Amino acid sequence: MNIHFKTAWGYIRRSPFQALAVSFVLTLTFFVATLVSTLVYSSSKLINYFETRPQVIAFLKSDAQDSDIADLQHKLEDNPHIKDVKYVSKEEALSIYKNATSDNPLLGQLVDPSIFPASLEFSVTDLSFAQNIIDQVKTENIVDSVGFTAALGGESSLNSVIQRLKTITTYVRIGGAVFVGLLAVTSLVVLLVITSMRVVGRREEVDILNLIGATKGFIRSPIVIEAFIYTIFGVVLGWAIAFIAVLYSAPTIVSYFGEIPILPKDVLGILELFGVILAIELFVGAALALSGSLLAVSRVKKVR
Amino acid sequence: MSQEENNLIVFKDVTKVFGPLTALDKVSFEVKNGEFVFITGPSGAGKTTILKLILGELIPDSGGVVVDGSDVAKLTEKDLPSYRQKIGTVFQDFKVLSERTVFENTAVALAVIGLPESEWDLRVQHVLKLVGLSRNSDHFPSQLSGGELQRVSLARALVVNPKIILADEPTGNLDWETSDNLMQLFEKINKEGKTIIMATHNMEIVKKYKKRIINIVGGKINK
Repeated sequence: MNIHFKTAWGYIRRSPFQALAVSFVLTLTFFVATLVSTLVYSSSKLINYFETRPQVIAFLKSDAQDSDIADLQHKLEDNPHIKDVKYVSKEEALSIYKNATSDNPLLGQLVDPSIFPASLEFSVTDLSFAQNIIDQVKTENIVDSVGFTAALGGESSLNSVIQRLKTITTYVRIGGAVFVGLLAVTSLVVLLVITSMRVVGRREEVDILNLIGATKGFIRSPIVIEAFIYTIFGVVLGWAIAFIAVLYSAPTIVSYFGEIPILPKDVLGILELFGVILAIELFVGAALALSGSLLAVSRVKKVR
Repeated sequence: MSQEENNLIVFKDVTKVFGPLTALDKVSFEVKNGEFVFITGPSGAGKTTILKLILGELIPDSGGVVVDGSDVAKLTEKDLPSYRQKIGTVFQDFKVLSERTVFENTAVALAVIGLPESEWDLRVQHVLKLVGLSRNSDHFPSQLSGGELQRVSLARALVVNPKIILADEPTGNLDWETSDNLMQLFEKINKEGKTIIMATHNMEIVKKYKKRIINIVGGKINK
C-alpha cells in the first residue's frame, strides 16, 4: 500500500468520529445534489415534452384540393421553425374522435366524416415563433382556422401553460442550486475544519518531516488523500442512496406522468443519466477535497 | 585535493541576531570531510544556532555558511528538501514519530528521498542492526527506552547515507552508560567516513572521545 495512503488511512482510523462527521455532511450534500440534478433533468424533459407536442392545427376548408394541401404541407416542412408536420384527413379525424369517445359508442355513430375538417398539425421548434407562424398560416387560402391543441390547468393556451411550467422549473433550479450550494459550502467548511485539526495535530510530524528533507508534496499528500477519501465516500454513498430512492419510486412516478418521459424508460437510459451525475459529482468532490485540504495546509507555512 | 576543497562546511564571519540577542557574532570555522567535531559551550551559547544554520533552518544575518558547496543563504524553498536530504539529524528530544514503529520511523527517511519501497527492507534492517535495534523493529516509540529512541533517531539519520550527521545534545536525556554506548556508535559511523558535528555540554563525553572542539561562549568562538 502506498505510504501516503497508509498514513491517511491511519489518521481516519485514529479519529473515527471526525471522519464520520465530515463523511455524513458530504453524503447529505451529494444525496441532495443527486436528487436536485434528477429534478432538473425531469423538469427539462417535462418542458421539452410540452414544447415538442403537436401544438398548432391548421383546419383546412372542406373544398381544399389535395394538390394545394400537399403544397402547403411542403411549404410548412421547408420552414426551419416548424417540425413534425402531419396531414390528418377527415376519416382520420373521425377515427381519432371515435377513439376519444370509445366509452360512449353512440356519439361516434351519430357523426358523419364530412363534419370533421381535414387538418395539418405541426410543432414549432420554439414557442416564440408560434404567433408569427400562426398568423402566416391563417393567410393561406385553403386554411379555415388555426388553433392550439391542449389547454392544461385551465389555461387558455399551451403557451401560457409552458410559461407557467418554465417559471416553476426556474424556481426549482434556482432553489435547488442555492440549497446544494449552501450544502457544498457547509461541506467545504467542515472539511476545512477537520483537515485543519489534522494539520495542527500533525504539526510535530510536519516539523520532523521538514527537517529530514521532505518536500511540500510529501507532507501534503496524506492530508489531501484523506480529504479525497472523505469526498469519494460522500459522493458515492450520497449518489447511491439517491439512485436507490429514484429507482424505488420510479414506477409510481412514471405511471403518474404517463407518456411524459420525465425519467428514461429503459435501464440503459437510467444508468446513463445517473452515470453522468456521478461523474460530475466526482469531479466536484475532487475540487472540494483539493481546495479544502490545500487551504488548510497553506495555513501552516513555515518561514525561515 | 587542496585543503579548501576538502572543507565540507565553511562558516565565514557568520552573525545571527534574534531581536536584542546576538546568538552568533562573526563566527568563522571550517569542518573537513570525515571530521568529528564537538561544538561545546554553556546553554544559550549558540551551539544549536550553528546546527540550525547548517541545516538551513535559519539563514545568517551576515557572513556566509557554505555546506558541501551550497551557500545556505541562497537556497530557495524548493532547494531546501534535497539539500536537507544530504544531512542526517539527531536531536536531544529524539523527534521520532510516535505513531509509527521503529521500522516505519527509519523507513520514512527513505520515502522522503523517494527510494522505491522494495528497497526499504534491506536498508532499514541493515541500519537497525548497526544501531542494535533489529529486535525492536516492530516496536512503537512508547515501548522504547530513551537510549533506544535516540538510536531510532540515529538510524533514521543514517539510513539515507548522508554526508553529514548533525547531533544536537544527543546524550542530553541519557544516563552515562547509554550515552557512552551511543558515542561508541557515533565513533564507529565516523570511522566509516561520515562527518559528524555534535553540539554538547557533556564534558565527560568530550574528554573521553578526544575530538576536535569548537567552544562557543556568548556567540563567539572561545580560542
